[in-house]
Amino acid sequence: MQLLSKLKQRNYQIAIACIIVAVILAIWKPSVLIYGSQRAGLYASIAIPMALILGVVGIINLAHGQFMMLGAYLAYWISVSTGADPLVAMVPVFLAMFVVGMLTYRGCIKYVLKAPELNQLLLTFGLAMILEQLANLLWTSQPVKAHVGYASASASIGSFTFGTFDFVNVAMAIAILIALLLFLKRTRTGQAALAVGQNPRGAKLVGINIDRTYLLIFSISIAIVGALGALFLTRHSIFPLVGGTYTLKSFCLVAMAGIGNLTGVLWCSLGLGLAEAFIMSFKGYGGWADMVFFALIIIVIIVRSYQRRVI
Amino acid sequence: MKNWRYIVYAVVIVLAISLPFYTGAYHQHVATTILMFLTLALSWDMLIRAGQLSFGIAGFFGVGGYAAAITYLNWDISPFLSIALGGLAAFVIALVLGFAVLRLRGMYFAITTLALAEIFRVIVRNWSSLTGGPEGMVLPSTIFGGDSAQIYWLLLAIAIATIIVSEVFQRTRIHFALTSIRNNETVAKASGVDIFKYLVLAFAITSAIQGIVGGAYAQIYGFVSPEGSFHLDFTLLPLAMALLGGMYSTPGPVVGGLVLGIVAEYLKLQIPYGHLLVYGVIIVVVILFMPKGIVGTIRERLQRR
Repeated sequence: MQLLSKLKQRNYQIAIACIIVAVILAIWKPSVLIYGSQRAGLYASIAIPMALILGVVGIINLAHGQFMMLGAYLAYWISVSTGADPLVAMVPVFLAMFVVGMLTYRGCIKYVLKAPELNQLLLTFGLAMILEQLANLLWTSQPVKAHVGYASASASIGSFTFGTFDFVNVAMAIAILIALLLFLKRTRTGQAALAVGQNPRGAKLVGINIDRTYLLIFSISIAIVGALGALFLTRHSIFPLVGGTYTLKSFCLVAMAGIGNLTGVLWCSLGLGLAEAFIMSFKGYGGWADMVFFALIIIVIIVRSYQRRVI
Repeated sequence: MKNWRYIVYAVVIVLAISLPFYTGAYHQHVATTILMFLTLALSWDMLIRAGQLSFGIAGFFGVGGYAAAITYLNWDISPFLSIALGGLAAFVIALVLGFAVLRLRGMYFAITTLALAEIFRVIVRNWSSLTGGPEGMVLPSTIFGGDSAQIYWLLLAIAIATIIVSEVFQRTRIHFALTSIRNNETVAKASGVDIFKYLVLAFAITSAIQGIVGGAYAQIYGFVSPEGSFHLDFTLLPLAMALLGGMYSTPGPVVGGLVLGIVAEYLKLQIPYGHLLVYGVIIVVVILFMPKGIVGTIRERLQRR
């Protein structure tokens, strides 16, 4: 009986669908399974902090991917000027981006919390433009890349060779998810944050400092996504506009999973990562892979709006 | 005393029309660019009056540009007709998509329009046989042979037409329908306003305007490309202009467009690579400190006296 009621839950439905697809793919096209899950790890780890901000602070941060881009540039700058490995730079980047998050919250997000949703969207859109253009001014639009040997590590099964380093993304996504869930469920501050997310006024009545909770959650999310920038740098070349697509894709995943559903984001990422890798596995159709994401987001949002689950 | 207002309008229009007679090609070119973004800003504002925030200006702008270029190249028609066809293409696409997309509100609508713009770009980049792929297409000739005065008049005509459409929207019952959606949708529905019909109409018309401007842009520069025609600037600049001038009215985006257009031209000369930063700062500062924009703030001051 319990199993049956669990089956009705959204997360389990998505999870089962993903597993079925994964099994089919494992038999038919193993490469899709590998590249798809690697992509999914990256998407999920970027989208989960966005889901956290949306769930607790209630703001959709359209500068999300741009914060990752800023983190990536910081990591690049640290590794070039000190010779440190980008992965080592994650720690200072995390701290620096925490401060950036605090300043952003104190400087502007705080003032639009009660404003109409339109103003919030426009503000974060403006922030995204500022970050992109700042990066453009500071580091020029020329793509840069960190060269690290271990990032090209590979393994082979039979005649098929694939990169193994990207599995770090998957591990990272799962680690972030577990850490955040433990924080939200087990610690006092985390429980307070959950309460604020569910009902700010009620949380205020029982004596929770809402403003400080918002500040903490926003800064932590920005810090996480900034630190991910360092990881992103090990495998991808970065340029000022690199963050834009990740903002969109993160929102896409968050909207699919439903507001406040962190675990769902992971499963949705898996689904979308596999779908993208599937399209890319056909020669000559690689360019259409981006389309999968956007087409899916529109279909999902519209289907859900008909079910009246959205808003 | 009400007549002085019409005298001012008449003087402004005469000055605007006669601009090419006392300025050089450079100023005409700047004025053309300002008019283009001003029109986009106004079209964006017409939809935001219904509370629907669109980030898809660049999308319909690009669609219009490509439709104009493709029809012009393949069918050997006059450039004006191709610009109109660009608008028509954007109109039809918006009409069809509108039936699905306009059920969404707030951030879902905003993100979906942003995604739509990306989809258009991906389609254009990959459908090489029709659109020329990533390299884009070059038109054999530019409109009016590149004469800057005539190009200016063309854009001025489009801008004035848009201002008239915007005023029609403000002064007829469409205004009440759209504003009621922004303020309280449930009440609007309960009072028997057919919201959806007006929303689809507003979305299609504003997209058509963006398509026409896109078509004109393609004809003026004789060139379309996935990265150029769908550039984020075409979303960002009109947005900043409308915000700075003040949302929800015709004068707002017009004033914002003129002010920001002139400032932007000056900044472009001062800091060639970072002038777009200023647009981002303007959006943030206006939202934080002056949400009513220039026109709204002045109007408020005047009323207080």
